[in-house]
Amino acid sequence: MPATRHKNIRIRMYRVGFGDCFLVTLPGAGAKPRQVLIDCGVHPRGDIKTMGDVVTNICAETGGELDLIVATHAHQDHLSGFGGFAQKFRAMKVREVWLPWTENSGDAAAAALKKKRLALVEGLARHFAAVRDPRYQAVNAALLNLRGNDAAFALLKSELGAALAYREAGQHISDAAGIKGLDVEVLGPPRDKEFLARMDPPASERYLRAAATGAGESRSLAPFPPKWNYKYDTPPLSDADLEYFKELADESGEALAFALTQAVNNTSIVMLMRYGGHAMLFPGDAQYGNWQFWLERKDAAGLLAGVSFYKVSHHGSENATPRDALDRMPEGKFAAMIPTQDTPWPSIPYSKLMAAVAKQTGGRFVRSDSISVHGAPAGPAAPHLPEGFQEGQLWYDYSMAVETA
Amino acid sequence: MPATRPLKIYAFDPTRGRKLNNYMTANVRYEPVKPGPVGEYLAVIDYDGANDRYYRPVDLDHPDVMIGGGLDPSESDPQFHQQMVYAVIMETIKRFEFALGRKVKWARDSSPKRDPYHGKLRIFPHGIEDGNAFYDPALRGIVFGYFAAGRSGVGANLPGQTVFTCLSHDIIVHETTHALIDGLREKFTVSTSADTAAFHEAFADIVALFEHFSYKEAVADAIERTGGYLYSAQLDPDVAARGAGAGIMAEQPQANPLIELARQFGDALGMRGALRSALGTRPDPTLLEKITEPHERGSILVAAVFDAFFSIYLARTRDLMRIGRANGAAGPGLHPDLTNRLAAEASKIAGRVSTICIRALDYCPPVDITFGEFLRALVTADYDLVPDDPHGYRAAFIEAFRARGIVPEDVTSYSEEALRWSPPEIDPKQPLKPCRGLRLDMFGDANPQRDSRNAAVLHGWASKNPAPLGLEPGETFQVFSFHPLHRVGPDGRVCFDYVVELLQRRDEKLDPKDPKSEIFPFYGGSTVILDRLGKVRYAVIKRIGNRRRLERQRAFLEGGARGSAAAAFTGPRPFDGLSFASIHKGY
Repeated sequence: MPATRHKNIRIRMYRVGFGDCFLVTLPGAGAKPRQVLIDCGVHPRGDIKTMGDVVTNICAETGGELDLIVATHAHQDHLSGFGGFAQKFRAMKVREVWLPWTENSGDAAAAALKKKRLALVEGLARHFAAVRDPRYQAVNAALLNLRGNDAAFALLKSELGAALAYREAGQHISDAAGIKGLDVEVLGPPRDKEFLARMDPPASERYLRAAATGAGESRSLAPFPPKWNYKYDTPPLSDADLEYFKELADESGEALAFALTQAVNNTSIVMLMRYGGHAMLFPGDAQYGNWQFWLERKDAAGLLAGVSFYKVSHHGSENATPRDALDRMPEGKFAAMIPTQDTPWPSIPYSKLMAAVAKQTGGRFVRSDSISVHGAPAGPAAPHLPEGFQEGQLWYDYSMAVETA
Repeated sequence: MPATRPLKIYAFDPTRGRKLNNYMTANVRYEPVKPGPVGEYLAVIDYDGANDRYYRPVDLDHPDVMIGGGLDPSESDPQFHQQMVYAVIMETIKRFEFALGRKVKWARDSSPKRDPYHGKLRIFPHGIEDGNAFYDPALRGIVFGYFAAGRSGVGANLPGQTVFTCLSHDIIVHETTHALIDGLREKFTVSTSADTAAFHEAFADIVALFEHFSYKEAVADAIERTGGYLYSAQLDPDVAARGAGAGIMAEQPQANPLIELARQFGDALGMRGALRSALGTRPDPTLLEKITEPHERGSILVAAVFDAFFSIYLARTRDLMRIGRANGAAGPGLHPDLTNRLAAEASKIAGRVSTICIRALDYCPPVDITFGEFLRALVTADYDLVPDDPHGYRAAFIEAFRARGIVPEDVTSYSEEALRWSPPEIDPKQPLKPCRGLRLDMFGDANPQRDSRNAAVLHGWASKNPAPLGLEPGETFQVFSFHPLHRVGPDGRVCFDYVVELLQRRDEKLDPKDPKSEIFPFYGGSTVILDRLGKVRYAVIKRIGNRRRLERQRAFLEGGARGSAAAAFTGPRPFDGLSFASIHKGY
């Protein structure tokens, strides 16, 4: 329906599995609509093998021309499509690429942080791969998500011939990417010292060591020479005690892995896109620490009250949409989309948040996993779509009429 | 039998070297010990979980060890580590027993009686390779970690050197205090509001910080280098800098070790300085509303207590300072006699303030502690010991808490009378009869028969008088703990009271409208203080039927109280107790 398309903003959420891929089509001033792609990735453990078709559809829909690509943060489930289908993206004409400032290798603080983080991830990944315990599935999935983004970044940073911009909280871009009337307010990631400190969980030299030596299961520091070792006739600890200590070591690595994952989620570009009288909030995977930073702003309540579309953060996980933020969005007056599925982490999406989103939007929301894909984890069926939504082969569209003055 | 056993320890941690009287001897109360050391209260078990091995346990009774007054301080000798954790924990226990006037007990121990460590707290000086140390009730023990310092920005540490949390005096006292609080108020680990976790942390910091002031040499040194102003963040350098900027080491000022915690640990993790400090937040009554992270919130309480301490110190030493000035002590440097007098005052006051805080624990409600209630407990406890408050201790506390916005609920004013706990409200038609038949024991000797008899007497009495004791009639309750408590009566005589914890529990739905809602345990009950004749002096009540309290707890639990980085991926933790291992990496 090309006729309506030109008058509407259309937000297309693709079903990629566990990941984000959004194509926002704006009517534009001229004959051609303008295209913004926000993320294109799927988690290796939540991949339902639709990415190829999705990228093909993006090419077809846009005629091979993208005005702007926003890659919100350095996780596979937001980037893998750029790496895996680099060939197709290289053939497209891309005007501008936005990355969070934390990916800027020219920024000394950001680069140092990233180097350390990747070394830790490497050590942790090797450790948990060697432990081979089903208990650590969740942490292995988190670590997997943090690695292997080099191809995607290479493409986005230099192979598209696009103008590259690093985004940080506080920036305000009018006519973004040359799209007249597109006004973007960047709410995150912040750039202050305190935020950086939070991005940097207390490192464990143990895992850095594992990364440096290339060892599998991380080896412990030996604090004392063997002459101090001692054998008891009757050991003072029971088997249960010994098991406790064994788990303890892995738990601390596990906590670190999740802390790193959350830290990267919090580098997400959070942007409020204003166009044609609508305000669309795309927070990437921002979790608590990132939201908190800008929710303290005086105008935060006003920003949220004016939202007409919300992309639910971090696949609807437990701490990714602060309750008071959702409460401040205009009840029954905005729509939401949730790119999610219950694999690889059964606790995502968080059922309470799903219920809260349903209530606050007055039922005007969809979950990507409601689109049925053969062999893929099935979400709740959505036989009757709320007003403004349409189902496609591998996607949901949400359209909003553009107000004309 | 000797009265004490001298053992060498670090007063702070190894990075201080011999400076600031860091090598010191603790005169630990004597008890016979087995290799470990394993004594009456403690079993030091040097199991290294990361390397799955035991280290040779120290035998403190070996003549070579005894003749030297314990092993010499050394980072490379695990047996010195065992000695130090043993000595510092025993000193902390002594501090509590002195304040409470009775033997301390650890929290309930589910291990079988034949377990050789039954009833003892197990101490693992090198339990884990991690920048962490924690008390875990499930393990019945304290685990200390060791870890490699970072590669840069590690302060006085060598880059990459091994740092032992079990050699940090502060960390040892902090974790021991967690265990001691757990023995006194076991349900304080149930997270019911932003204050509960913060209280545990704050109290552990308070005890650790006041321990610094019991070392007279360190205090005297700090007094000399601060011109008597003990609360200064920095000590004066050995010599004043000549020319522009400090050129030699002796010209550089150092941080005041008395008011900071775990410097080596903080340095090694690249935090640039101590982990936390006693002061450092300006009194801001609005902070309490904003800050919920347990350590940060706890630091408000720590600052309030230290503010009170320094106010008392200044008031009590003003005359000394005046005498000093009158004798022409102009310019930098105090007369050594004055320094010693000031140090003696500071130590004495610190001991008193720390005692007041510890005694207050007996006057706290059994569950759901808030900072405001701690103030009330503190005022009441101190009133019971020193009824007339000649030196203004309580006034100083009240003032310092007020400045930080710590507001007790249901209190009409910040006056001492209003803050003191009161006896229960009694319906005049149904007077509350005293609890008769209790057998008091002021020495705390273990006597299971007497204990179970007293429990039965208390239970029988409370079930006849549920309402005035804060219990919901018709619902089961537990006599959770009871023990004697001493105070000084108005006539100056020492009296003995009885502290009793009564506890009720309901399973409540997190979301009352959802039939499949998660369930959490909701506790209520009271702390009752009886006099020698069984008459109720105070009842500190947390009713289980209090809807407002229930709603508040619900809101707290719903509001991401269990939120951690892992929660999003593994689901929220079940509603069991606090996990000290995971509260911001334990220490």
